[in-house]
Amino acid sequence: MTDVGVTVIVTVVERPEALDGLYREYAAVLDACGRSYEFIFVAHPYFHEMLQPLLALQRLGEPVRTIEAARSVGETALLRMGLDDARGAVIVTVPAYRQVQPSAVAELIAAVDAGSDLAVARRWPRLDSRVNRLQHLALHLTAGRLANGTLHDIACGVRAARREVLLDIPLYGDFARFLPLLAIYNGYRVVEVESPQHPNDLARRVYSPGVYVRRMIDILGLYFLLRFTEKPLRFFGLIGSVLAGIGGIALVVMFVQRLYGQPLGDRPLMLLAVLLATLGVQAIALGLVGEMIVHFNASRRRGYRLREPRKPGEDSASRS
Amino acid sequence: MPLPVAPDLSIVVPLYNEEESIGPLVDAVRDALGAAVSWELVLVDDGSRDATVQRAESLAAADGRIVLVELARNYGQTQAMQAGFDAACGRVVVSMDGDLQNDPRDIPLLVAKLDEGYDLVAGYRMRRQDKMITRKIPSWVANRIIIWLTGVRIRDNGCSLKAYRRELLDQLHLYSDMHRFLPALAAATANARIAEVPVRHHARRFGTSKYGLSRIAKLLADLLTIKMIASFRESPLAMFGFGALASGVIAMAFVAAWLWSFAQRTGPLNSAHVNAYVLPGSALLCVALAAFLTMLGLIAEEALQKARFEERDDRIAARAVIG
Repeated sequence: MTDVGVTVIVTVVERPEALDGLYREYAAVLDACGRSYEFIFVAHPYFHEMLQPLLALQRLGEPVRTIEAARSVGETALLRMGLDDARGAVIVTVPAYRQVQPSAVAELIAAVDAGSDLAVARRWPRLDSRVNRLQHLALHLTAGRLANGTLHDIACGVRAARREVLLDIPLYGDFARFLPLLAIYNGYRVVEVESPQHPNDLARRVYSPGVYVRRMIDILGLYFLLRFTEKPLRFFGLIGSVLAGIGGIALVVMFVQRLYGQPLGDRPLMLLAVLLATLGVQAIALGLVGEMIVHFNASRRRGYRLREPRKPGEDSASRS
Repeated sequence: MPLPVAPDLSIVVPLYNEEESIGPLVDAVRDALGAAVSWELVLVDDGSRDATVQRAESLAAADGRIVLVELARNYGQTQAMQAGFDAACGRVVVSMDGDLQNDPRDIPLLVAKLDEGYDLVAGYRMRRQDKMITRKIPSWVANRIIIWLTGVRIRDNGCSLKAYRRELLDQLHLYSDMHRFLPALAAATANARIAEVPVRHHARRFGTSKYGLSRIAKLLADLLTIKMIASFRESPLAMFGFGALASGVIAMAFVAAWLWSFAQRTGPLNSAHVNAYVLPGSALLCVALAAFLTMLGLIAEEALQKARFEERDDRIAARAVIG
């Protein structure tokens, strides 16, 4: 049952600040809004010690709960664990450090109340270092394109949404990071709320090379998921026909030259052409298997979502 | 709004930015069908960005026979049609374009044909009012290819005006861009009995066409899919097995060419010569491809096991309801 107005889920997985201070600051904002609220801190086991001050707050009767993952899991799994326990009609997610001014949360909740399904903070103006902005740019030139230019700060973890929206969007892997994109894909209304970047968010973020590789793989997976889930052959078929096409043309040219007397057997190019052709056939074959799976699963899941009936008073023209 | 009694006939119209067409469309349907049969008109808004929804809402409020289904975003015509089919309650369902190119006066003809004992009746456009180069010729070629690949003789797959028996739609699940191949899909997966009748076609009066020539690559991929589903739905392993066999034959040809090149050789054998690896290397690649395709076929069978059983259970359940 939802008996709480707002649930704030704090995922403690990266660069945490003192969590009791964080709680007080956000709680003050929510108090000012006049909303009932609860806080759920979901922590990676590495940050076990950091939860202790929160337990003290809990003993004082503050609406704080803590969940500690039993094993090393990522932000998405932590968020899912928090969602399972959340009782609020509106869910606010924040990272364990301040990315924007805490007052932004009030604006996000107001945006959800006004009929948006998901409101995300946009750190603007940005005060970041050049390194951070470069990474931001790289993210938006790749994953950001999937939002058709409607979102300017996907990576900001300060978000508010109706609870049903978050429960409806399948969150797995590392996709919590791209939640706004998944929401748009599922036909939800997403808005951005601008808020100045918090001084605590300015530290240069440089990760190990493995992290960047992992992100690139995530973005590729996301791209496939959002654009080609229903039509895998268009993805694999494009790759396959380009490869097989190059290989095939090279083979045809060599066979024609063979007819004019140039022997085939001692041309290494032949090996490359056959390799490309076989790779192309493999890609197309994989696409066909994908289509077969989609075909058989089409009856299991509807590929569309209907718009929810509008609340009385909400103007139909206000839809995006 | 749900009608007290399910109507005999449901007309499903996907709409995407058709604010000008929607009013005349509803009038035309009303004039064509009158009060002789009980019908409902299911308008599906596919995330339009103009006033389509507002107009449809007021039309639906004024006439209880008009139902509005709103998709959460622009999903494309296939999903819009599927949403309309899911919402439609009629024993017979008719799909139609929202741009006034189809004439609702043809609906009774389709329904009459359906009552002769068909599961699906497709319209084909007489005296088509479209541009020759960009629309008619590509469409003719595409239809020829579809007939050739699927063996389903439908002259005009691009015509949206079709009538379906409810039981057929319950067995079909549209995804991607499959609405264009609905008759072929219906024949391949549900053994549908299909007929055709000629229908009128009008030039587009409002708005712009939402198609272009750029669809050809997508069309080819979809055709390949349809062909595969029509021929190898029952055993994907057979398809990949044939592929593996062909690949194996090519490998043998490379081996033969290799042996031939040795037989032709006049000088002493020299293992450092490229001849010693190009042809056998090519043969090995083809053998690897054959192995890959065989394994892929096995995995495909594996992945489809569960879906197959579920599909069988659905069919049995559907038959129990009808019988």
